Amino acid sequence: MSIRIEPLIALARPPRRAFSLALWLDREAVFGWLMMALPLLFLAAFVGYPFVYGILLSLQDRPVAKPGHFVGLANFVKNFHDPIFWRVAVNTFVYTGVATLLKMVGGLGLALAMNQDFRMKNLVRALLLLPFIVPTVLSTVAWLWMLDPAFSVVNRLLIGLGVPRPGPSWLGNPVLAMFSIIMINTWRGLPFYGITLLAGLQTVPPELYEAATIDGAGGWNRFRYVTLPLLKPIILIVTLFSVIFTFADFQLVYVLTHGGPQNATHLFATYAFDIGMGAGQLGLGASVALTMLPALALLIVALTLYMRRA
Amino acid sequence: MHGISRRGFLELAGIGAATAALAPRPAPAAGKTLTVLHESSFIPPFDEYIKTTLAQQYEKETGVKVVYEVTAVGSLPTRIATITETGTGADITMNLLLNVIQFGEKYVDVTDLCKEIGEKNGGWYDAGREAVVVDGKWKAVPFCNIGQLMNWRTDWFKEVGVAKFPETWEELHEVGKKLKTKGHPFGFELGHGFGDNHGWLYPLLWSYGGHEVEADGKTVVIDSDETARAVDFARKFFQDCVLEDCLGWTDVSNNKAWMAEQISCTNNAESILWFAKKEFPEIAKVTDQAMNPQGPKGRFHLMGAISHSILNFSPVKEEAVAFMRWLMDPKQLGGWYAVADSYYQPTLHAYDNAPMWDVEPRNKPYRDAMATAHLPGWPAPASRQMAESVAKYVVVDMFAKACAGASTKEVIKNAEAQLREIYKSA
Repeated sequence: MSIRIEPLIALARPPRRAFSLALWLDREAVFGWLMMALPLLFLAAFVGYPFVYGILLSLQDRPVAKPGHFVGLANFVKNFHDPIFWRVAVNTFVYTGVATLLKMVGGLGLALAMNQDFRMKNLVRALLLLPFIVPTVLSTVAWLWMLDPAFSVVNRLLIGLGVPRPGPSWLGNPVLAMFSIIMINTWRGLPFYGITLLAGLQTVPPELYEAATIDGAGGWNRFRYVTLPLLKPIILIVTLFSVIFTFADFQLVYVLTHGGPQNATHLFATYAFDIGMGAGQLGLGASVALTMLPALALLIVALTLYMRRA
Repeated sequence: MHGISRRGFLELAGIGAATAALAPRPAPAAGKTLTVLHESSFIPPFDEYIKTTLAQQYEKETGVKVVYEVTAVGSLPTRIATITETGTGADITMNLLLNVIQFGEKYVDVTDLCKEIGEKNGGWYDAGREAVVVDGKWKAVPFCNIGQLMNWRTDWFKEVGVAKFPETWEELHEVGKKLKTKGHPFGFELGHGFGDNHGWLYPLLWSYGGHEVEADGKTVVIDSDETARAVDFARKFFQDCVLEDCLGWTDVSNNKAWMAEQISCTNNAESILWFAKKEFPEIAKVTDQAMNPQGPKGRFHLMGAISHSILNFSPVKEEAVAFMRWLMDPKQLGGWYAVADSYYQPTLHAYDNAPMWDVEPRNKPYRDAMATAHLPGWPAPASRQMAESVAKYVVVDMFAKACAGASTKEVIKNAEAQLREIYKSA
């Protein structure tokens, strides 16, 4: 056999050499990595580099426009002694927790309502996305006007209902200011939840509902034992995204209150920006921003593990 | 210097393209170009004048093209940070408030130029110098002050029998009490804006004798009887005279409230009158301006310094110095100031009696206020710690918390703890 094959190999050699690159590319493992190369490079340049640079910065005393020097964890220790930092940490968790919960419950309700059959269903669904589509800064400026005690539609309505003039100071009172930014974030994030969950709802086979109905399940039980279990993976993914977005929120607070009154609405992102850019302490600012990381990472890992098990 | 440089890291990562973007810009060939970075002016003709008149005139005279680049209000510090970090983007930049101390290391020493300009123009105001001298060197050419003063409604003040703006904080408090009960409260920002909060709170603190830190720039002295008196006054002033919503105000809020005839007195730059004259002439007629009231230790103002610096990595440094010398000549500078009425108050004594002050006599207090104007951490020289304290709103929040009801002792203790942490690095 070998006697016959050898000449064949000899004959095949020249064309095989010419085609070796093509053959190499034909291998799925190689082609796959080639397809990945560009995105990977992109990620390395625009996510990886800033991230690693951020970590390096956080370990330095690095004033803007001046060379920095390594200080180890001194910046984190300084934050630890900074009362505003703790206030900011509490604010961020309250803001993220409450807003995400409201968005989850509200979004689920919205999805269930939108899943019904009614006239102009598609138009209403499209309109629902508006708060999410309008640039945050623009919609926040609109809210700034709406929450103004002098001109606002909100306070005028309340005064009409008998609340004494001039009505509540939505952005001047620390508790109300936090309430306001949570509400606006919820208003903005609700459509994202609603539409994504709606997409999930539409994949639930109607037979399951029919079977449940035949078995005697009412509306609540159909929701509890059919809808909810099937939606769970989607709810988890949307929550994951929502938590990340909300935790790192910047624009809304920056435009509306700039962290005021008395730091009642300062979040990690706005505080890090003030220290990094306002005070010109790039290292300290980076250390504040990086504090978000462990909490977020833990949450992401926990949710991912939970999803895998499910 | 840290172990791994920015560019070193990039090369390590093998990203050639990004390196090219960070590399210093090559020197332009003949027919040189100067890029001047400025924050967009509240007074549009001001930007127009340098773009269309001064830049063209300079190009005709010297062949050097001047590109006047405008950046949005609020974005200047971020832009300068990017420029100084990457070593490219502009040859001359405008500075606001504490920018010179932050970026001074990347600025050309212009001590000689400033001395020369000062000698020719009647000398500099102390406040002008205070904002640009870093370690004994002039790192910027002072341009002006945007003063923060009292704006008041003459008609409503008259209703309670006041024809002239009160001289002291206590007198203002008395008037404010009456006005608030008549439905004309005061509007003084106590939130996290950039200027209108610091604009009255630092002068209030100083006028009662309180300071953040000693002149040595190290010893924190906020915990004093003087500070306590200022805080006590602020609380009473807020509760009796001021709109509650002010606790959440940012810089636009008082302008909005003024044009809505919601408040009878506030602390703002000249722009409030300028805008009223343009858009709300009826309100402008009853708007007047005055210096900040006096406290037991005198009368003070906040220095809203603006200056120009030459970036030390610029390939056209000499041309930039020549341009600054030309620009600061009264022939050019006088015209530039004048297009903005007196929104930009000159830091050179030669302009004390310039015709620009007669355009709107109600603006004259802004000129007179400069003699008592200082940067936030006064009497200490400008420092990065001062910038940190401002960015963390230490003094603003000390007052704001007291106004919201916290005890004087508690708010001062908190501020002191924060300041000690900040000034530890001094």
